[in-house]
Amino acid sequence: MGDVILTMKGIDKSFPGVHALDHVNLEVRKGEVHALMGENGAGKSTLMKVLTGIYTKDSGTITYEGKEIEFHNTREAQDAGIVIVHQELNMLNHLTVAQNIFIGREFKKGIRIDDKRMNEEARKLFNKLNIDIDPTAMMGDLTVGKQQMCEIAKAISHEAKVIIFDEPSAALTESEIEELFKIIRDLREQNLGIVYISHRMDEIKVITDRVTVMRDGTYVGTLITKDCTKNDIINMMVGRVIYEDPKTHSMVPDDAPVILKVENLNAGKMVQNVSFELRKGEILGFSGLMGAGRTETARAIFGADPKESGDIYINGEKVTINNPQDAVKLGIGYLSEDRKRYGVAVQKTVAENTTLATLDEFVNGILIDKKKETEIAQKFVDSLATKTPSVDQLVVNLSGGNQQKVVIAKWLTRNSDILIFDEPTRGIDVGAKSEIYKLMNKLAEEGKSIIMISSEMTEILRMSDRIVIMCEGKITGTIDISEATQENIMNLATREIG
Amino acid sequence: MEKFKNSPIVKKIGLNRILLVGVLIVMYIIFAIISPTFLSYSRILSALNYVYFLGFLSLGVTFVIATGGIDFSIGPVMFCCALVAGYSLTSYGVPMPAAMVISILVGACFGIFNGYLVAYCSIPPFIVSMASMNIAKGLASVFTKTQSVSWPQSSAEGGWYRNLVKMGNIPVGLFIFLAVAVVCAIILNKSKIGRYILCLGSNKEAVRLSGVNVKKWEMTAYIICGTLAGISAIFFVSAYTTVQPGYGDTYNNEAIAGCVMGGTSMAGGLASISGTVIGVFIIALLQEGIMALGLNKNFQLIITGIIVIAAVYFDVMGRRRKN
Amino acid sequence: MTNQNTASAAKGKSSLNKLGGQKFIVILVIIGLFLLFSVMSPNFRKYTTLVSMLDYSYYIILMAIGVTFPLITGGVDLSIGTGLICYSLVGGYLISFHDFPVIAGILVTVLFGVVIGTINGTLVALMDIPPFLVTLCTCMITRGLGSIIVGGFGITWPNAIAPGGWFRKIFKLTIPTDGKPRLLPIGIIWVVLLVLVMSFVLNHTRIGRYTISIGSNKEAARLSGVNVKAYHVLAYTISGLFAGLAAVAYSAVFSTVQPGSGAGFELEAIGGAIIGGVSASGGVGSVTGSMLGVFVICLLKTGLPFIGLQANWQQIITGLVLIGAVLVDILKKKRG
Repeated sequence: MGDVILTMKGIDKSFPGVHALDHVNLEVRKGEVHALMGENGAGKSTLMKVLTGIYTKDSGTITYEGKEIEFHNTREAQDAGIVIVHQELNMLNHLTVAQNIFIGREFKKGIRIDDKRMNEEARKLFNKLNIDIDPTAMMGDLTVGKQQMCEIAKAISHEAKVIIFDEPSAALTESEIEELFKIIRDLREQNLGIVYISHRMDEIKVITDRVTVMRDGTYVGTLITKDCTKNDIINMMVGRVIYEDPKTHSMVPDDAPVILKVENLNAGKMVQNVSFELRKGEILGFSGLMGAGRTETARAIFGADPKESGDIYINGEKVTINNPQDAVKLGIGYLSEDRKRYGVAVQKTVAENTTLATLDEFVNGILIDKKKETEIAQKFVDSLATKTPSVDQLVVNLSGGNQQKVVIAKWLTRNSDILIFDEPTRGIDVGAKSEIYKLMNKLAEEGKSIIMISSEMTEILRMSDRIVIMCEGKITGTIDISEATQENIMNLATREIG
Repeated sequence: MEKFKNSPIVKKIGLNRILLVGVLIVMYIIFAIISPTFLSYSRILSALNYVYFLGFLSLGVTFVIATGGIDFSIGPVMFCCALVAGYSLTSYGVPMPAAMVISILVGACFGIFNGYLVAYCSIPPFIVSMASMNIAKGLASVFTKTQSVSWPQSSAEGGWYRNLVKMGNIPVGLFIFLAVAVVCAIILNKSKIGRYILCLGSNKEAVRLSGVNVKKWEMTAYIICGTLAGISAIFFVSAYTTVQPGYGDTYNNEAIAGCVMGGTSMAGGLASISGTVIGVFIIALLQEGIMALGLNKNFQLIITGIIVIAAVYFDVMGRRRKN
Repeated sequence: MTNQNTASAAKGKSSLNKLGGQKFIVILVIIGLFLLFSVMSPNFRKYTTLVSMLDYSYYIILMAIGVTFPLITGGVDLSIGTGLICYSLVGGYLISFHDFPVIAGILVTVLFGVVIGTINGTLVALMDIPPFLVTLCTCMITRGLGSIIVGGFGITWPNAIAPGGWFRKIFKLTIPTDGKPRLLPIGIIWVVLLVLVMSFVLNHTRIGRYTISIGSNKEAARLSGVNVKAYHVLAYTISGLFAGLAAVAYSAVFSTVQPGSGAGFELEAIGGAIIGGVSASGGVGSVTGSMLGVFVICLLKTGLPFIGLQANWQQIITGLVLIGAVLVDILKKKRG
């Protein structure tokens, strides 16, 4: 490890209603791989966005190569030598690899773009990195892993001194990760400072020198990787105080029948051999880190995405679900994590959204019975305590929590027995959160069965009767609430050190 | 002004529509000052002739735009309907009521064709429109052997159909048009069809995840549009009797203009039948006014084009500001 | 290691081959159609038929070259057909009624195209209005404008033997022989030359590179520091420029230009481009492919009457072929 190249000190950043970063520190040295860890929403990405000029900080200092700096956009950061390799790749699939690397700064020979020289330069870059990619290959034809390598090569070609990897391994295969690590080690040899954001404990142990842990927008501490154990890191990540009482035991009676049974469900890389049971009146928590395949599992069960194989039983009967229409008919309701995209039609009213899944019940001959619709919508506005001036209000004007209630009302109108809540409280403020929780408990008491996907540990521990934990597309364990702790959940959610 | 904007009546009717009616009235007054013949009843009747057929086209395309799509094949499709039905009438001796049914059926078939390709084959609506516009023109020419077709005059046998537009001095067409507009408004705002069309125009994926067969309803919008083009054809010939193959595409723009001016958003999900009706009146009055000024149809083309671009630009800006 | 290298190289080629493969199929279709018509009709085999087919193809190919650029950005230009007539009318009008020298008339014609194209581009790229809507409107506007400027009458550009008729010889040379004078369709040389030039522009200059980038991933291009808006406008300007050049070709080949015509030309050009491998969703396309696609359409247009189908069938068939081509494109993407 060499000299300090980058120091972020006391970084503070607030968004309306959220204190995203609360005096966070980070120090990166030359020739170091520095892990940045934390649960989903701990503030890692926000910190990196502040660094690369996407967000402006409220207070704190950034010192880079001995000078205090502040970037106003990624371009400035890039020119100074700080580049970020995004998790979501920003590639031009219709151009070749070399053309992608040099986009916006092509070599020219007269008016002609010198593709030959660009290919040569790209080849040199790849040689330097020991990567085997043909610069003339079409970007769209490469695997995600290779595309990632290209992104790295592009970063290096900017003469980067600090490279940030934002969950680079999320979409990579085993052997691609090996290759990635080789490159990262090479870069370390060349005295670059590397920030490595990841959830995967095993990778952290293998590749990084130091670990900085964040929690809820605060700085927890920095450890030297080889001196600490996986448990040390997990304890720092989850050491959050849980204000609300976690559930201590399952509320589901022992003789509650199985409502939904999923067997060996497969759908792409993110859903592999998933099997579980859901009982009547149960809240089944799905825990795991980002990209564990929980949403994909839910969407496959609901028929929103195609599945490859697997059986689904409802009340003991085998059912076929090819599209959402089938699922809805069978009494499944899905509440998406991304309400604006998948949940509500925002330009339509509360009443119109409430009856979207059950319109047939409100049709009198050919006309919609507006009176009945209004009544039902009003009934749910009252019973769910949705804050809206009237049921004729456009959904776009409601807050996140109240939009969520409208979606819940949609499925309650349908009288769905199985409800899949995907991140039910994401983007919802604290007060509304506890209302949603109360509501879910009430629904479970009334005999509805709930699958709750959540990335928030407190939410999982507070709400679930049983917890299914997923990691990288597979179910790694099921824990009864009476035995669940933050530590054993996190242990199952992260890959073992191999 | 703020007070006016917030008064309950204005809110109920919509500021946009009040402004549109204002524009309509001001335009009429200006034209009447320039050319006093505008005050004559016969002039008004002739302006109304334009309202009917254009109105049906515009009502139809309102449904398609509500889904977030577009159909600019309607003009030539309308001509194709009039030509095929008219040719059947004059050359194959099909009775008048049957000819009308043929016209509507041809329109509906184009609607099914367009709707299927857009909803089930995911072909971009503008490509489908472009293709079916030319198919309609070609089909009409092939069917009529490139001859223009004249529907019967009022006095001839089967000429009763012209009463659909005007019986003596009574503008029957206006009543029919308004009645159809009311039906369309009911379908769009009060029926299941309209609800699904508007919701899928607003957020197709959310509607799909609510267990709705979105493809079916998207296609329905195109079928409604095609059927109304078939009806439009009947009113076109009732007013003008003669149709020539190879034309009709100028009406696409005018129909779309009436629609977007009336407050229907190109992005889908937001549509107003009453707005479309007022928009159509403005376009028809414009056409009549331009003729009164001694200018030809070409000015109408230019002005309509500018109106559409301006209306859509304001819509885009409005949405951008909201976000 | 080397194995992998060749594997990835082969993969890169495969995507190039996709486009090349389509071109190959299109060439086969052209040959097939040509043979079919030749076998079925002796009249089709005549030299004059070939010449008249080429005459028809020039302006469509020129339009197709231009419209390939907006199509690759993921947009479309529907104004090229009526635009062509409008530019030609204005140029011819200035020559016939205002004593403009022919060369000046040609310049005005082309410039007019550039102006309308730039207006289209500005409305699309800077004001965010959907391309089909913008160009549908300018399609109508140019149609009206052309008629108004010339007063609603057909315009005749100077004929071949008149003074100033030299420009017709650019496209067709008459060689006096002992018997009948022989017509030499040299226009094809210029058209192919332009195809090569624009092929170069598309594949080897920034203009083309960024045009493809806009269609592939506009946001990624913008984040890479490309002035996306300027190049987006430019794509439409190119389309307008070539509509202007097409107007010159049209005026040179046909005796009179009628106001109000031109609707439907754009379908032939856009249809040709899509048959030639331009993707309706942008990012993919080649200028030579567009030219070959237009040949398919021109063959149908010229050949169908020879086998007893009225010219109007061609409109229907072009429409269906366009939908077929887009469907194939969509299915390919679904599978790949």
